[in-house]
Amino acid sequence: MTALPLPTRMRAPGLMVAMVVMLVGFAVASRDFAMPGNVLNIIMQSSVLLLVALPMTFVILTEGLDLSVGAVVSLCSVALAQVALATGSLVMTSAAGVLVGALAGVVNGGLIAYLRIPPFVATLGTLGAAQSLALVLTGGQSVTGLPSNVLFIYGGSILGVPVPILIIVAAYAIMHSLLYYTPFGSFVFALGGNREALTLAGVSWRRMLMAVYVLGGAWAGAAALVLASRLSAGHPTAAIGMEFDAIAAVALGGTSFERGDGWLLGTLLGVAAIGILRNGLNLMAVSSSVQVCCIGILVILAFTLEAFRAPEL
Amino acid sequence: MSIDGVAPGEPNAGGDWRPMTDVQDSADLTPKLELRGISKTFPGVRALTEVSLSIWSGETHMLLGENGAGKSTLMKVLCGAVSADSGEVLYGGRPVRIASPADARKLGIAVIFQEFSLVPHLDVAHNVFLGRAPRGRIPGITDRSRLYAETRRVLELIGFDVDPRESVHRLGVAHQQMVEIAKALSQNARILVMDEPTAALSDRESERLFAMIAKLKADGVAIIYISHRMAEVFALGDRITVLRDGRRVRTLLPTEASPDELVRLMVGRSVDTTYPRQFRKPGATMLEVRGLSAVSGISGIDLIVREGEIVGLCGLVGSGRTEVARAIFGADKVTSGEVRVFGRIHPGSAEGSARLGMALIPESRKSEGLALIRTVGDNLLLAALPQLFRSGLLWVATGRAAAQRIVAQLGIVTASLRQQALALSGGNQQKIVIGKWLVARSRLFIFDEPTRGIDIGAKAQIFALIDELVAAGAGVLMISSEQSEIVHVCDRAYVMRDKRIVGELQRAQLSEENIVRLGMQQ
Repeated sequence: MTALPLPTRMRAPGLMVAMVVMLVGFAVASRDFAMPGNVLNIIMQSSVLLLVALPMTFVILTEGLDLSVGAVVSLCSVALAQVALATGSLVMTSAAGVLVGALAGVVNGGLIAYLRIPPFVATLGTLGAAQSLALVLTGGQSVTGLPSNVLFIYGGSILGVPVPILIIVAAYAIMHSLLYYTPFGSFVFALGGNREALTLAGVSWRRMLMAVYVLGGAWAGAAALVLASRLSAGHPTAAIGMEFDAIAAVALGGTSFERGDGWLLGTLLGVAAIGILRNGLNLMAVSSSVQVCCIGILVILAFTLEAFRAPEL
Repeated sequence: MSIDGVAPGEPNAGGDWRPMTDVQDSADLTPKLELRGISKTFPGVRALTEVSLSIWSGETHMLLGENGAGKSTLMKVLCGAVSADSGEVLYGGRPVRIASPADARKLGIAVIFQEFSLVPHLDVAHNVFLGRAPRGRIPGITDRSRLYAETRRVLELIGFDVDPRESVHRLGVAHQQMVEIAKALSQNARILVMDEPTAALSDRESERLFAMIAKLKADGVAIIYISHRMAEVFALGDRITVLRDGRRVRTLLPTEASPDELVRLMVGRSVDTTYPRQFRKPGATMLEVRGLSAVSGISGIDLIVREGEIVGLCGLVGSGRTEVARAIFGADKVTSGEVRVFGRIHPGSAEGSARLGMALIPESRKSEGLALIRTVGDNLLLAALPQLFRSGLLWVATGRAAAQRIVAQLGIVTASLRQQALALSGGNQQKIVIGKWLVARSRLFIFDEPTRGIDIGAKAQIFALIDELVAAGAGVLMISSEQSEIVHVCDRAYVMRDKRIVGELQRAQLSEENIVRLGMQQ
């Protein structure tokens, strides 16, 4: 196998190559792609995915997986929409979303950390449960007529900066600090890398694993708020399949599915890559059904490129 | 006076030992730590039976025993990872409860583990202070500058030159062991437990550790030191306790023990520590390496291995021994030079090696040599599958017979072929790795540290096995950090320094002094 001249210590080189190719390709193919308005568009549209993909990185770092996240976002979105209609309060609405998400996280974490059910199976189960619950709560209908304060979350701006951008900047700052600047962050790496090390350090790995899934659920609630605001409705199947984009973004970003090897900034870039791909394909009038296939191909291509890189010494 | 709670009549000559100190204050009249009648039963195994032990401030207490003698369990009881079923622990004369690692830490007990307790994708500093990171001014946020400063201080203390920001997975085994040591020392422990701390270290690094131990002793730290190396036991130990089958056999002073005596106590029978070998006249050349250089940095390697020979490859850790083995085997990319196996040019791939009848038994059994969660039978057949089943169909009976034959031939202790490999002791795991290549009819073996982490009894068995291999016409290239092993076992040896071979020693010239002289920087 011939080694490609990719830097050996660079993370996710396949993603970097793919990004450059996509940016150049779309800019050539579509006149609208490189316009400032479209760039803002890509960022805005990626905000929901980022809120889900950041905590998904934590989950995958623990050698875990959360398949339920799309269904949980859907469930949160209808729950918070109903609370918004009933109370009209943004605080109550946000709290409802985060709380429902966190509860789903407690169920996931409990199954995985305390009942020792493999994450794949446990979250597959909660996927079904959350999806059903969302449909039952709404009778399959969208919850529309959200008050203007909820719509402000996606449509509004503060000091000229769109609110979703403020939210993703804050979200990244929080999750980055949590992972790299707190003891909890070290424990997340240890959960995937060496659980015995945690036990010997006097830390309960079960409690930490639980915390990771609850954190993921809470962020799913926040993502649901942004999504509901964007759609002007809570929709019981709005986020179906979002786990696919989220896991793809994390994988693209160079986080490994074993041994707690990962990189949060990579996830940010992975989300950007998926946002760019979807946006570019939209501009070229490619249907969203075909887009999913393109994301799959992107992930596989990025990993193939990496397989050809010279081994790290 | 029954110091260690020993039953009358049980020999316990070391029991009345006291540390020699100038000032005899009251603290010196009670042991720092005392274990009384500790018992522990795991499902199906009686791991510890009524073990009593006392450790004084400023003492280095050597703990000896074969694998499975109860050393690790005793250590886990001490550090709170396992709680004893019965018995008590006294700290400075007061009874204490060690129910969790946090309790042990509060008492100032720190453990240097052999099976690394490190997180691979965290840097050195975060590993050293895992769970104890200094808090900064912002609540919940780690004070990174203090974290790195304190780590640097500890690393300097043990004379270990590594960047605290380097990710641990990039470090070699020896350096990881140093991080493990730094981790334990950073806790300012009053009682330090070390499980074979030098197993992965070069002589120079070991020397540094010994100097460190002397300093800690002078500061009144009590040290429990588990070792399989006789030289260390006598050089470092103030007292020696031998465990066997979960019981304490005897505690004695170095002056009243001899290596043979200790081995006899450990195994309950006499094992010859000199690994007797029949040296034969070597046959035809099996492996010929000329001017081999590889991407891993080794260069200009010339060596040959002949039929019926055990050839040693020695040098300090990091001198390039493993890299030579990997390049010969085709696991690392070769940049120049050639490897001939039975006169044929080696294709430069691991599959090619297997086809040519060459086997590499790697240093880290757990990650490279064995599929731990698979069964003993599966592991034994792994390398031979293409040869045994040319049709592509796996005949269960044929496979079982082949595996059964090897289990019997090597004396692998396993409940059945269906036993998971991870349940076996280190010695038996090593036999499986060797056995797997025997099934594949390999004739040229490269062993990388075949006895690392293996107790003395199993070591003798492994060497007897290697001797059998060469008696049957195999050729062996053996990497070892234990020079005494090279001296006792090898027909010839090559010595490496800085990724090159710097000398070859014939049987008559083989001595630890010669190896060290060649291997050290001039």
